[in-house]
Amino acid sequence: QQKTVTGTVTDKQMNQPLPGVTVKSGGQTTTTDVKGKFSIAAKIGENLTFTFIGMEAVTYTVTADAAPLSIGMEYQPGNLNEVVVTGYQTQKKADLTGAVSVVKVADIKDVRVGSATKALQGRIPGVNITSDGSPGGGTTVRIRGIGTLGNNDPLYVIDGIPTKRGLEEINQDDIESIQVLKDAASASIYGSRAANGVIIVTTKKGKKGVNKIDINASTSIQEYAHRQRMLNTDEHGRAYFQAAVNDKADPNNNQIYQFDWNKDFDNPVLNKVVLPQFVDAAKTMKPANTDWYKEIGQASVIQNYNLAFTNGSEKGNTYFSTSLYDSKGIVKQSEAKKITLRLNTDFNFFNGRLKVGENLNGTYAKNVLIPIGDVLFTALVQNPIVPVYTVSGGWGGPAAGMTDRQNPVRLINDNKQNHNYFGRLTANVFADLTIIPNLHFNTSYGVDYDGTYSRTLQKSYSSGFLTDPSNLVQNSQNYEGNLLWQNKINYTLSTSKHHLDFVIGQESIKYNNQGFFGSRKGYALENIDYAYLDVGTTNINNGGSGGAYSLLSYYSQANYTFDNKYLLSGTIRRDGSSRFGSNNRYGTFPSISGGWRLSQEEFIKQLSFISDLKLRYSYGQTGNQETGNYATYGLYSAIYGTDHVFDRDGGTAYDISGTNTGTLQSGFVKIQQANPDLKWESTKESNFGIDFGLFDQKISGSVEYFIKNTSNILITPGYLAVVGEGGYKTFNGASMQNKGIEAVLNYDGRINTDMSFSVSANIATFRNKVTALPSEVVTAYAGNGTDQVIIGHSINSIFGYVADGLFTTQDQVTNSPSQPGKGLGRIRYKDLTNDNVINDKDRTYISNGNPDFTYGLNLTFKWKDLDISAFFQGVQGLQVYNSYKTFTDFTSLWPGSNWGPRALQAWTPANPTSTIPALTLANNNDEGRTSTYFLENGSYMKLRNLQIGYNLKSVLKSIKVQNARVFVQGINLFTVKSKGYTATDPENPGNGYPLPVIGTLGVDLTF
Amino acid sequence: KKALDQQPQGVVSSDDLNTPVNIEKMVIAAYSSLGDESIVTPNSLWSWGSLRSGDALKGGDGLGDNSGWNDYEQFVTNRPNNTYSDQMWAQLYNGIARANDALVRVNAIDVAVFPNKVSRQAELRFLRGNFYFMLKVLYNKVPYIIETDPKDTYIKISNDILTSDALWGKIADDFKFALANLPESQADIGRPNKYTAAAYLAKVLLYQAYKQDDNHNVTSIDQALLQSVITNCDLVINSGKYALSDDFAKNFLTQYENGPESVFAIQYSQNDGTKYGRIDMGHSLSYTLNADFGCCGFHVPSQDMVNSFKTDNNGLPMFTGYNDADAVQGTDFMNFNFDPRLEHSVAIPGHPFKYDAKYIFDRSWTRAPATYGAFASLKDMVPVGDPSFQRIPPFMSSSKNWEIIRYADVLLWKAEALIELSRETEALPLINQVRQRAANSVALLKKPDGTYPSKYKMTTYQPGVNATWTNSFARQALRTERRMEFAMEGYRFFDLVRWGIADTFINSYLVVESTKHPYLKTAHFTKGRDEYLPIPTNQISFSKGLYKQNPGF
Repeated sequence: QQKTVTGTVTDKQMNQPLPGVTVKSGGQTTTTDVKGKFSIAAKIGENLTFTFIGMEAVTYTVTADAAPLSIGMEYQPGNLNEVVVTGYQTQKKADLTGAVSVVKVADIKDVRVGSATKALQGRIPGVNITSDGSPGGGTTVRIRGIGTLGNNDPLYVIDGIPTKRGLEEINQDDIESIQVLKDAASASIYGSRAANGVIIVTTKKGKKGVNKIDINASTSIQEYAHRQRMLNTDEHGRAYFQAAVNDKADPNNNQIYQFDWNKDFDNPVLNKVVLPQFVDAAKTMKPANTDWYKEIGQASVIQNYNLAFTNGSEKGNTYFSTSLYDSKGIVKQSEAKKITLRLNTDFNFFNGRLKVGENLNGTYAKNVLIPIGDVLFTALVQNPIVPVYTVSGGWGGPAAGMTDRQNPVRLINDNKQNHNYFGRLTANVFADLTIIPNLHFNTSYGVDYDGTYSRTLQKSYSSGFLTDPSNLVQNSQNYEGNLLWQNKINYTLSTSKHHLDFVIGQESIKYNNQGFFGSRKGYALENIDYAYLDVGTTNINNGGSGGAYSLLSYYSQANYTFDNKYLLSGTIRRDGSSRFGSNNRYGTFPSISGGWRLSQEEFIKQLSFISDLKLRYSYGQTGNQETGNYATYGLYSAIYGTDHVFDRDGGTAYDISGTNTGTLQSGFVKIQQANPDLKWESTKESNFGIDFGLFDQKISGSVEYFIKNTSNILITPGYLAVVGEGGYKTFNGASMQNKGIEAVLNYDGRINTDMSFSVSANIATFRNKVTALPSEVVTAYAGNGTDQVIIGHSINSIFGYVADGLFTTQDQVTNSPSQPGKGLGRIRYKDLTNDNVINDKDRTYISNGNPDFTYGLNLTFKWKDLDISAFFQGVQGLQVYNSYKTFTDFTSLWPGSNWGPRALQAWTPANPTSTIPALTLANNNDEGRTSTYFLENGSYMKLRNLQIGYNLKSVLKSIKVQNARVFVQGINLFTVKSKGYTATDPENPGNGYPLPVIGTLGVDLTF
Repeated sequence: KKALDQQPQGVVSSDDLNTPVNIEKMVIAAYSSLGDESIVTPNSLWSWGSLRSGDALKGGDGLGDNSGWNDYEQFVTNRPNNTYSDQMWAQLYNGIARANDALVRVNAIDVAVFPNKVSRQAELRFLRGNFYFMLKVLYNKVPYIIETDPKDTYIKISNDILTSDALWGKIADDFKFALANLPESQADIGRPNKYTAAAYLAKVLLYQAYKQDDNHNVTSIDQALLQSVITNCDLVINSGKYALSDDFAKNFLTQYENGPESVFAIQYSQNDGTKYGRIDMGHSLSYTLNADFGCCGFHVPSQDMVNSFKTDNNGLPMFTGYNDADAVQGTDFMNFNFDPRLEHSVAIPGHPFKYDAKYIFDRSWTRAPATYGAFASLKDMVPVGDPSFQRIPPFMSSSKNWEIIRYADVLLWKAEALIELSRETEALPLINQVRQRAANSVALLKKPDGTYPSKYKMTTYQPGVNATWTNSFARQALRTERRMEFAMEGYRFFDLVRWGIADTFINSYLVVESTKHPYLKTAHFTKGRDEYLPIPTNQISFSKGLYKQNPGF
């Protein structure tokens, strides 16, 4: 029996009508209209099939029931129809022609480490993210290598608002989607600031018909993942002894240790290290065996709570959330606390023709101002013989014979009362008017301001020979922010074969910052409740500064699709920046890209195993304006005095009249030279891409190849000293090329409705070289300025000496080229110039500073309500400069410091196979110089995340819980590193905050 | 269009600075370079002038603590990449650039609106000359740049365009201009006057007089220049504006600064609106490690220098044999006769510290006595509780002025010139004037019981009575006098190089001193090389190879 079946097809996930769905009955085929509606003739008992590319087909058996059907469709893995935000427009993933990576937000959903970017580490090929373990959570994001000098941070666009501030300050649970625009063609719509790539973040919105509450809570314990072991008191004494006898110097000639030994320099035997009764002359400190890392470290707790309400109807939608993230650091007393609040609403008027809404995000953060860098450094270098406390309970500290560095426990204790307060408000209001169907006018006005405030009390102290009887209170306050106004017109034209999206728009941004501080000394009480400026009595001091820039941009973009097969897209953007000279303010950034969906061609359709195949090419140009706000100007500043504790005083005040005190006469000093010709740095990039899907997208992936040429790189090089202060001049300097390949491969193993697994792997590699180098900037790069310049080398190159092992026989010492300070057990440097002298001419490029490749591997497994995932990330073939070695291997480079256990294995005539230079008290051979001795294999693979979850929703059905997942998670559970790397963590070769290992217990509830 | 006009915030343009008021400020900025220094780039030059000369040992916490200084002291490991050499080079050219910048403005302004024009021009050239003098004695061959050289030509100005002599001539020209154009007195004590310029000119001419070849050998002494030295010294002496302080100590105590003996000094200050004051950072590492101070124990007098203060039975310095027996601490100093300037220059274990009879310096205050001995340098420190003392954690220093030229120097320059002109008889009263004042300067050295911690015996040279005043004797007397008078003040090394005796003096010093401080066993002065610092590697790189390295490096 023939009847007409009508109904609506919707996207189940988005809860929106799906146009273009193919509906097939026995004898007829039709497609749904823009409202997802269809009408088709069918017989009762016959099957209707609904198919749509990228979605799971739905089959419906026609019944006699006359009511309209409501068909919900779900995306297949591979998500070809997933909607991707590509700038001021959205596109279907299938229609993309540029290199756009879509982050699977679900993969990082429960990886709450303080910042969404941290959680993304290793998940997107070509996006290199590094971070340290500090509770505040700093990350560095590099897209497709190093694109420029100076600022290499990508541009973040959060709900349409561009910012350079990263994602640390937004609630990760508010994120709906993250897209990374990697190639210039995709990014060029953001023109001026897109050269380092663009990360687009869209936050969650209310959805029609959705009414739910999400609760997420987790608690974690974190602890050092890797800890640098340093010498204990006895070992430190032994190392000192060895160094002294190597130098044929009386080892007992020192302020701390005495040695019971055989007094034979040729065959020294140490019987015992004798400790003094007291470490200091004042007899306040008994010798200790302090493990400073233990004293400053702690296992600490991270707490994370999120509460979100979603509500949607015909008239409007609301998403409201609040979160608390509180991370106590693995350094005692360190803590970062962050509270966020988000309200995203939109309202529909005039039958949906006018949509008005806003996105609002407030962030409040409070950090304890422990000088973490100093604490970690002093824990590394402070001598183990120094006790934490003196016999009378005061602070232990360095005594004669030791480095003048603070007791790290004191640093923690004397600063724990100091806090930094941070607030950021990001808000935009927007209106979207449908002028005629498919023609939208959209305007948005936004503010993005943040402010910091701190009040710190610096207490008086006495700690070993370091003392400061004065106290100081400093207040400082800074704010910065943007005002943004965006206007755009979107037009969509769709016929059965042609589809055109068009946007034209304008955007203006005004940025400014201001800050000031005040400080006083002379406080009667050292109590934070007392420590306000008013009650300080001496050394009244203050200061302040500010800056501003503005941007004005016009842009247009068109995307055209023919027959779902041929894709073409073009962009043009014209940007003006106040940072450039008046003749060069504007830069134009065009792009063009095309795609060919081979899988839509009949000859491919015959190959049924191919479910998707697309070839893409794009070419685009982006810009970079990251330089000083006023870099074109020659400027002078009235610098009264500068901080001269460790640096040269650069002030201009002078006591010309010999009064010794009071306000002095002062002047101005040049701070930079003018370059009125300064212009945009630009990047031109070609991207070749292929997307493929096999066996109904069971296997899918993509490969990208890019060539990125950056020219007119903005740089402010160091300068010839005769120019004097303020010789800095910003140039459009070198050109550089990055070439690379990125690949992603996904396998979706759906065994049955209960059990599935997936594997997702990515790999990326790039090669970088400097291709042109104007003479003004030659000396800004590694090299010697004359015959060794960086052209043809990677911008990250390290320039130094080649360490050629150690001198192990007197013969070698005698018959080697002249090298001041050479001797037995000393490092032998290679005579590259063969002139029989080791000098600065013997330096060369010793490492390119880049890895061979980076990779990530994500594994998931699901069985009914159980899910398990594991994520590995790694870097291969990187030579890192291990600066820790200056502490661990040498007694001479940081003489009054503590040293590492490698020092005990150093070369001696009795230990002739050691590759560690003989210990010495005097660095006569200048072994701290940049050389291959410090280069080590920095390859590693880490288990970043292992997670096991179980959803209790079937157990809790009775109480209307939609979702109730509990999970346990481990972060940074293990690291595989090369034996050649002698410090702890090759990811962190400097002296950063160590990455912690984190264990988490959490729950996600949805009502 | 207007949307993109952003005026620079909190800064001024070069054009804004050409008003009379602002030009005065630019002059002040040039002055302030006199005191702009860091803990490792002292404008007193002690780390080059007293450290390398046999007067002082590096000190601090062992050889690796500020190892760049150890490399200076060892000579053989002084490499062109020594960062202190590079930082000092830049610091001095910063001063020159400030002077040149201000000069361009002063030159351009009409004297009608800027009545001080001529004086300010002269002051700026004086300052520029000062910085070039420092560069010259440190590096020998340096690029010479003046205010009329356009900035974009700097890259073409090599360090070997001028001969050593021609460069001295250029430096002298600045002081000659200053002498001709400065007023006889200035309202501001920190500004040089006509006589200050004469004094500095005398100093430059004296250095210039000792002609050096390309290998730093002194080949001749220019008699005409020596005569000119005398003329200029006489200008100062006869001005009546200067005199030796009645007590030597007053040159090194805050309360007497800018006294009669001060010809030109760096004016330091504190509680002046900066966080820690515009203080003498260059000497901040000299302080000792007792509870009142705390750091860092550098700039330690050598045993040789301490011994050199011994006097013979006539109360005259011992040209030879002074180093045969050591005086190390406490009552050792009662076993020999001493020049009282010892007690003003050196802190000695068991003796009062810095004129405080009850405050006894102790070995335990020193940082690494086993390596460097247990002396400390006194002239650069202020006593505990001195109002000019300033902490700048973890360091400390003071706002006590530092003398660049004091009157004693003028007297001895004249004496030196006279001796080299074989007019040693005329030199005698000058040297004796300095000696007599020193011999009289014991009032502040008494212990609480009224006795002295050392046995002082010092007299003037009395030909026929206690000395035979021949030319060569007078030369030795003059050179010894300079060492005693200016001990630890940072001139000694440059004196030795000027006289052409650096290699012989330093190498023989090292032979003996290394028996007491074995770490010096590896040290050696290479003649023809170590008279000057190498041109810093960084500067050769930045010049793209234009600058020529000094011989031997």
